[in-house]
Parts: sequence; C-alpha cells; structure tokens
Amino acid sequence: MAESHLPVDARRAVESIKRADVVIGIPSYNNARTIGHVVQAACVGLAKYFPDLVGVIVNSDGGSTDGTAEAVLAARLDDANLLMLSTPLYGTHRLSLPYHGIPGKGSAFRLIFQMAKELQAKACAVVDSDLRSITPEWFDLLLRPVLLAGYDFVAPYYHRHKYDGTITNSIVYPLTRALYGKRVRQPIGGEFGLSTKLLDRYVVRDDWDTDVARYGIDIWMTTIAIAEGFRVCQSFLGAKLHDAKDPGADLSAMLHQVVGSVFTLMQEYERVWRSRRGSEPVELFGFRFDVGLDPIPVNVERMITAFRRGCEELSEIWSVVLEADNFHEVRRLGGVSRAEAGFHVPDELWTRVVMDFACAHKQGILGRAHLLKSLTPLYLARVASFVMETRDLVSSEVEEKIEQLCICFENNKPYLELRWGRERTPVTEQAGTPATTVAGGAPEVRLEA
Amino acid sequence: MLETMQQILQGVLERLRYQMITYLPPLMAAAITLLGAYLIALLARWMLYRIFKGITIDRFLRRSGLAFMFDRSGRLRATRLAAEGAYWLILLAGFLLGLSVFNTDLTTQMTQRFVLLLPKLVVAGLILVAGAWLAQYLGRGTLVWAVNEGLPSPRKMAATVRLVIMFVAVVVAADHLDFARNVFLAAFIILLGAGALAVSLALGLGGREAVKRYFQEKSESGRDESERSLWNHL
Repeated sequence: MAESHLPVDARRAVESIKRADVVIGIPSYNNARTIGHVVQAACVGLAKYFPDLVGVIVNSDGGSTDGTAEAVLAARLDDANLLMLSTPLYGTHRLSLPYHGIPGKGSAFRLIFQMAKELQAKACAVVDSDLRSITPEWFDLLLRPVLLAGYDFVAPYYHRHKYDGTITNSIVYPLTRALYGKRVRQPIGGEFGLSTKLLDRYVVRDDWDTDVARYGIDIWMTTIAIAEGFRVCQSFLGAKLHDAKDPGADLSAMLHQVVGSVFTLMQEYERVWRSRRGSEPVELFGFRFDVGLDPIPVNVERMITAFRRGCEELSEIWSVVLEADNFHEVRRLGGVSRAEAGFHVPDELWTRVVMDFACAHKQGILGRAHLLKSLTPLYLARVASFVMETRDLVSSEVEEKIEQLCICFENNKPYLELRWGRERTPVTEQAGTPATTVAGGAPEVRLEA
Repeated sequence: MLETMQQILQGVLERLRYQMITYLPPLMAAAITLLGAYLIALLARWMLYRIFKGITIDRFLRRSGLAFMFDRSGRLRATRLAAEGAYWLILLAGFLLGLSVFNTDLTTQMTQRFVLLLPKLVVAGLILVAGAWLAQYLGRGTLVWAVNEGLPSPRKMAATVRLVIMFVAVVVAADHLDFARNVFLAAFIILLGAGALAVSLALGLGGREAVKRYFQEKSESGRDESERSLWNHL
C-alpha cells in the first residue's frame, strides 16, 4: 500500500489551511501563458456556484521555468460586478507546489489527490492548465454531481473537432467501452470530478511509478472508477480548445503510455471485463449546445508513408504479435498507395490488431516498450484511413462512424477472450486456412488450433 | 620351416591376445560408460521436458528477444533449453569418463585440461548469451525508434547495432578464454577505426548533402506546427 508522503511545502500549506470542502487541481509545466485564465475561471466558479464552501486551488507544477507559479499566484479577481456575482467575492486559497517523482501529469495528480485527502475535501476537480475554452461553469458541472448527486467520478463530455482526440476515438474509447461496458465518451479527457471515496482509492494504489505517472493517468482513473463499480457520470462542458501540446512530445511515447496503461489494467481487471457483455450509456449532465471548433490540418500522405515504412521495416515484430490472417491483411495494405484510392483500414481489422497487441502485451511477447511503440505506424494507418473516410462528413456522421467502430469492438470481444490465454497462430508465408471456427458473438471467431 | 611359421603365428596370436587383454576391457568399459551416459542423457532430457516448468524464464526469453534470435518462430522455451543443456552435459561427462578409463598420459591430460577449462567456457558462453541478449534488445529498440522517427535505413542501423555489440561480446569472451587475445583486440581496434573513418568519409564526401537535406527537413517539419497538430491531440 502506498503511503501518503507530502513534500514539506505541501505539508506546511495543509497545516496552515487545515481543511477545505473542495480542491481544484491544475497540473502544469511551462503553462504561464494560459494558466492564469484557468485559475481565474476556477476562482469565479467556486465563488459563483459554491459560495458557502471553502475552496483550495492547487497548482502541481513540474518545475516550470517560464513563471507558471507566479502566474497562478498573481491570478486574482478584483471586479466582482463584472462577473455578475450576487455574493461577495471571497479569496480562494491558491497554492503552487512542485511535485516530486517521475516527471509527468500523473505525478502532478498524485500530489493534488494527497492534498485533497489531507484537507478532507468532499470533492475534487482536476483540469488541464492549457485550456482556452474553460469557463467557471465547468467547475459547477464537474463538482455538482459529486457534491449533490452522490457520484464518484465525473468524466468530461465535449465537442471536439472530428480529427481531434484520435487516440481516444480509435483505441481508448472503443476498447474501454467494449471491456467494461460503460459508454464514457472521453475516458482520457483530462478534466474530472472526483469524490472522497474515489480519491482514497487512488491514493492507496501502489502503481503510481508506472506509466500512470505520465500520460497513462487519465485512463487509469477512468478504468478504476468503472471497473471497481464507483458511480460514474458525464458532464457536457462545451468545446475543448487548448494550446498545442509540447511540439517535441513524441507520438509513440504518448501512445505507449496511454495504450500501455489500458493493456496493463486489462490484466488487473480481467475478471471484470470477462463478466461484462455489451455496453450501457452513462448519465450525461449539462445543457448540450453546438460550438465552433478549431480546424485541425492533417497530412494523410505523411501518415501513410509512416505506415508503409513500418510495413517494410517492422514485419519481423508484427509477425510475432499479430494473428496470421491479420498480419497478411496488414501487409497487403502496406502495398496499397493512397493514389490507388484503395487505402482503407476496416474496423474489423483494426479491432483485431488492437486486440492482438493487447494479448501480446499480456503474454509478454517482446519487451513491452518495443511492442507498444511498434503500434505507432499501424495507428497512423488507421488515423489516415479514418481521415480519408470522414473528410466530407459532418460531426454527427463522424460520431456515427465511431459508434460503428465501438460496436465492432464489442462484437469482437469473444475473439479477445479466446486469444487472451493462448499463443497466436504462427505466421507462414501464405495466409493459412483456419483450422477451427468458433462461433462467439456477432462475427465468428476464427483461430487456428 | 613349418616350426618357424608356427612360432611366428603363435607370436602374433600372443600379441593379439595381449593387446585384447590390455585394451579391449577399457574400450568396452568406455563404450558402456558412453552408452550409459547416452541413456541417462536421454532420460534426463525426457524428464525435463515433462517436469520442468520454466514460466519465468520463458517470459524472459520472449521479452528479451532471445527466443526469436535462436528460433525465428519465437517458440524457444526454457524447458527445451534446460533439457537440451542437460542432455549435452551428461553426454560430455560420459565421454570424459570414457576417456579416463584408458588411464594413459594423453587421455588423463586431455581430461584434466578440459575440466580446468570448463568454468571458463561456461563464463565465456554466458558472456556471449548476455551479449546476444543486449544486441537483440538494443537492435530492436533502434529499429522501432528509427522507423518512428522516419530515419533512413532503420534495418541497417539495427543490424549495425547488433553486430557491434556481438563483436564486443566475442572480444570479451575470447579475452576471458585467453584465446587469440591480441588478434581479437587488434581486429576490434582496426574495425572501430575503420568504421569511424568510413562514416567520416561517407558524411564528408557522399552523404553531406543528404544529411544536410535530412536535418533541414526535420527542422522544417518541427517548425510546421500545423502539420504536427494531429499528432499532438490525444
């Protein structure tokens, strides 16, 4: 069991504040440009919607050098009339504390959760520090279901550009939904509302020093909440507009951390996901409205080129990870150029590729870092195919496509269950004829004996 | 005349009898020892295949890539390694025991030398296996990294990494065995120098423009934020 060891600064702050009703956590690293706006929104949100509660804003910083901490402490609201508040504007505690441990969002969250626990907060909300579209209402939407309706976990629900959130749309949402049976649309959204009960559960976990310390934190929080039976809901927050992430950030590292966390948790909660079938909607709060979204330019050619390179160079890895039929299908796609207009990664193939990787991860085939990073070209192929397929579609039609993919994942769950505990069919030069056919779910599950 | 021939024949038969009395029993003993060792080796291998469950080692073999290095299908298992290892070890012990039955200076010397060399051979073997594991791991890491970074010739880069690490492992193993130490050391230094020279020449003469173009493209794509934007959205 992990113990709660607060850094000295945080301990002093807790001793000074003593207790709080609500804690708002903002992880940051060099976000001086946007964090002031986020802190202001939090201050107004607390004053406007929870005027009777004691609120603390905790900025958990990863050693910023651009004045992020100063921006947090300087963010203040002098003009209550401008904000149309009927209640007097009390100052909210604002703290900017450096976290310790592995640099990453997860480590920043750990400090926030420990602080919330020590301050005996009734609810905690966490939001990203690079948000441009955040409003005070977000805090109401994230905290009210916890404080007044008894929910433990409030996931965000936003409108996003059709090409935004591709890891969510192509892997994390369909897989999480198929596994645990809850339709949480943005499982790695970044903004969450949490109850004390759930915070306690997070804090005592002993896997904080894994990928959870980095980008794996969001899916880790969501999965634990769903798999362990906490009360889960969603709140509609409008649009999510944020600064571009660190341009130096490596896609394969992000993919590795997020997908690695999903796969690792699949092993821990095997009994849970094996017992669940289909999926059910999750309660959605908030008034839904349409919003304008920043366009996202996409270079499809570059993604297909990356995939084809992967086909040429990584076959030796894919051949030991993928089922023979899937491997040959992927290889065939590698020979199709975009000009031929035949480049298309079908839902069925993509689903089985992801499931093959999950099984390889479980069975310890190859080193896990290499395995997960070798998924990058395949992921880019799927994204390129998705972009080409949805180029002329409006967001509701795109959502329908994502729904189809989710259903495909759900229908292929018997394939995953069958593959999970057994070794893959070895790849031969030609696609082998399946030796056995097992009917399970909508599509038949074909595996060689 | 007849008597002389009879004496000669008797002498031959006497020598043959003497040689048979002297050498046949140890030869038969050696053969029996070897046969016994062979049977024990077979039995040990059969038992290990059925009894030994090396799950942890299996996982190590798969994750390290050693399973794929020794067997392309990746189905090398600890059970097989242990069984084959025991089989050959027992066979070797039987062979040495068989040799010692002759009790001659030569066989005794051979046995002694081999027994003295055995620990060194085992350590050298372990060095080679460790080198192979490291070569496989780093080679595969290089391959995946180079593909994801879009670097030219990823497979050649990975092969070079594997080759260099294996070569270093062979040099260290040879050094440990005191086997052609100077030859390997000289070869290592020469190859290292030649490699550095080749890279310098290649970059200086042929590849200068290509490298310049590559880095230019990299810096441009880094500046073109919009192009990377999709990659940065989870």
